[in-house]
Amino acid sequence: MCPMPIVNLAKKVKEMKSGQVLELLADDVGAKEDVPAWCSRTGHQLVGHEEEGKLLKFYIKMK
Amino acid sequence: MADKMCMVVSEGTFDKAYMPLIMGTTAAAMGSEVHVFYTFFGTALLKKNAKPKLPGMFRLFTGIFQKRMNKVGIPAHDEMMKQAMDMGINFYACSTTMGLMGVKESDLKPGVKVLGAAAFLKLAGEAKTTLFIG
Repeated sequence: MCPMPIVNLAKKVKEMKSGQVLELLADDVGAKEDVPAWCSRTGHQLVGHEEEGKLLKFYIKMK
Repeated sequence: MADKMCMVVSEGTFDKAYMPLIMGTTAAAMGSEVHVFYTFFGTALLKKNAKPKLPGMFRLFTGIFQKRMNKVGIPAHDEMMKQAMDMGINFYACSTTMGLMGVKESDLKPGVKVLGAAAFLKLAGEAKTTLFIG
């Protein structure tokens, strides 16, 4: 639930290298708007997005 | 340079305790430099043993509410505050109202700074976003 997907995402990103793709799983509806907003603000690229019922999946390529 | 984001918190209830932490950790995750200034009843939230309660009669249901929040993955107040500090969020107690509210500098959680209104307004003047939570 908000704000944890974004907070945990920002933490995880620090451990990743440029070009790597991170898979983010969230069950917070807000993430649908929050993740793209976070990407446009930080410059990382959202390369994919899937929905499986209540589960949201995002694929983010590190800048 | 990172954008600055400032918040003023003037109430000490459960809802007003969480709002700046949710907004602040999100802003920090988005790369902003965050400054939160606590004044009047808000200063109580910076005490080491702060246990905020829901407002008015709802205070009786704080425990149930807290459990519900834990269930959706939002940490306890002191834990979330620690996390916010680890993310580099700056917490300030208003020097003027601390005295009024009977909050001593030694009562404050480690890492909390005491700040005057003028110094905070200087920060807010440089910020892109300033929110008032009261």
